Amino acid sequence: MVQKILIVDDEPHIRLLLEQTLEDLEEQGVELLIADNGEAALETIKSEKPALVFLDVMMPKMNGFDVCNAVKNELKIPGIYIILLTAKGQEFDKYKGKEVGADLYMTKPFDPDEVVEKSQEVLGL
Amino acid sequence: MALAKNQISLKRLISKKEVSSLIVEMLPLTGDKICIQDALRQPLMGNVSIVPSHQYPVKLNGEVIGWVTGDEKASPIASLLTYLANNEMEKKTLARETLERYKEINLLYEISGKMTACLDLKEIAKLALDETRRLIKATSGSLMLINEKGREFYIIAAFGEEYNQKLIIKPGEGIAGNVALTGRAEIINDVWLDPRFIPRKNRVSSLICAPLNTTQKAIGVINISNEEKTNYTASDLKLLTAIASQAAAAIENALLHENKLKEARIKSNLERYLASQVVEAILGSKGEISLEPDRKNITILFSDIRNFTQQCEQLAPEKIVEYLNEYFTQMVEVIFSNGGTVNKFVGDMIVAIFGAPSPLENSEQKALQTAIEMQKRLKMIAVPWIRDNFNTGIGISSGKVVVGNVGSPRHMDYTAIGDEVNVASRLQSLAQGGQILISRSVYELNQHKFKFKEIGNLKVKGKKKTVEVFEVLY
Repeated sequence: MVQKILIVDDEPHIRLLLEQTLEDLEEQGVELLIADNGEAALETIKSEKPALVFLDVMMPKMNGFDVCNAVKNELKIPGIYIILLTAKGQEFDKYKGKEVGADLYMTKPFDPDEVVEKSQEVLGL
Repeated sequence: MALAKNQISLKRLISKKEVSSLIVEMLPLTGDKICIQDALRQPLMGNVSIVPSHQYPVKLNGEVIGWVTGDEKASPIASLLTYLANNEMEKKTLARETLERYKEINLLYEISGKMTACLDLKEIAKLALDETRRLIKATSGSLMLINEKGREFYIIAAFGEEYNQKLIIKPGEGIAGNVALTGRAEIINDVWLDPRFIPRKNRVSSLICAPLNTTQKAIGVINISNEEKTNYTASDLKLLTAIASQAAAAIENALLHENKLKEARIKSNLERYLASQVVEAILGSKGEISLEPDRKNITILFSDIRNFTQQCEQLAPEKIVEYLNEYFTQMVEVIFSNGGTVNKFVGDMIVAIFGAPSPLENSEQKALQTAIEMQKRLKMIAVPWIRDNFNTGIGISSGKVVVGNVGSPRHMDYTAIGDEVNVASRLQSLAQGGQILISRSVYELNQHKFKFKEIGNLKVKGKKKTVEVFEVLY
């Protein structure tokens, strides 16, 4: 079964960088999906069921916390590992993160090596 | 099929939503006679059954990544796909570049955080080298500092084969020496073409060397090299320079900190033996204080315990020392708090100076105050034996004397020499327990500030004229 990673961020350069960072995984059969807002992300998660989601917190309208909450607590979709992306220096609300069921959080600028490592770990590559 | 880093798969390209919907729209316009194939002629999209009359390549970077077959209408489709492929390639190259920059930024963030927290030279050096290796290809490298005397480099940290030996290079010597001198980083992609290169056990073909610049000069260099010929770029140089400048600042900080600690240790040790003013003069922290012998106008105070030797006959040596220490501690506190310097202890005698090594205003008055306080403090000492048995006589005189380091170069004594010193000493030996005797020079400046009693004239050894003696009433 093709494993999917969903990248969600309203900033185009972050989407580009994450895509570029994970490029090599595509050759290992991983499919990269992109969304630029919370609502689209939720729809993609519902239909594609990606095993791993990189989810930006600060997005207009529907933010990362809301998406995560919807997936984990409301819809209770299983098998989706969610990593919340938050800006460095921003006071990350760890409690909120726990509350909405996030599996991990990373600060931006993200460490590309860490992103690849974690992806391989979650997808079992 | 693994792709080369500068290639794009036609299959991936046309499977992109926007591209595939575009082609799907266009195929019927060609009469459905077109077939799109990959580089190995495998059909990807279009009509596979028709035998084509024409075929047009889709090219990227001079290589064929696929074909569009059919009639002449295949040509514009091939051109379009070529254009799209090139576009995609540009985007990818840009993305790759951006990711590299991103990684550099990330690295510099991390380094600056870790380095500023570091006060250990080896750790800083190792950190700089480790982080450099993450982004620049190298088989060996080192961080070297110039020693204090400026005469040679010594290695703080290194990696790669033969760097595990102490390498000593004279500044100006070799590429590293040159870079330290000029303060400018250099890339040398072929070391054998550079006349400055000094071959050593290490196999080196290409290297980058960056100076560790501080505000005044280069304190060392960081260099990395590859045993295989490499093309180090300006971008690599910039990165190494950024890391070098952070390392230089951290190292300077670490050295200053080390020095500060050392100085503090020396100072606190010295202060147990010498007055803090003398210590400060020695450490050179205050410019005006000099220990060179000089004629100065100062006030000298001698204080001695009457019949000390006889009294101590009854005591064990440890007890004598205990009482003396307590006595000295109290007296010294009084002297210091009035701006005096404790010049020396001679047995049970205290010699204090007011006005040297650093100048003191109203030194005569301060000395007088000190003497009175000393006598009063003695009567209030907590140890009963001392209260009952220690009685001191104090003599004070003032005038121009020679003050400074006297002795041999290997052992110096900070001392005062002159008539007035002798006078003060004689006054002290004259004084009975509880008495404070002073000379005219001290009396004159304090006539209206304290109460006095004329004692008379005193003959001082070695002087023809007699000295007027006054007693301070308190």
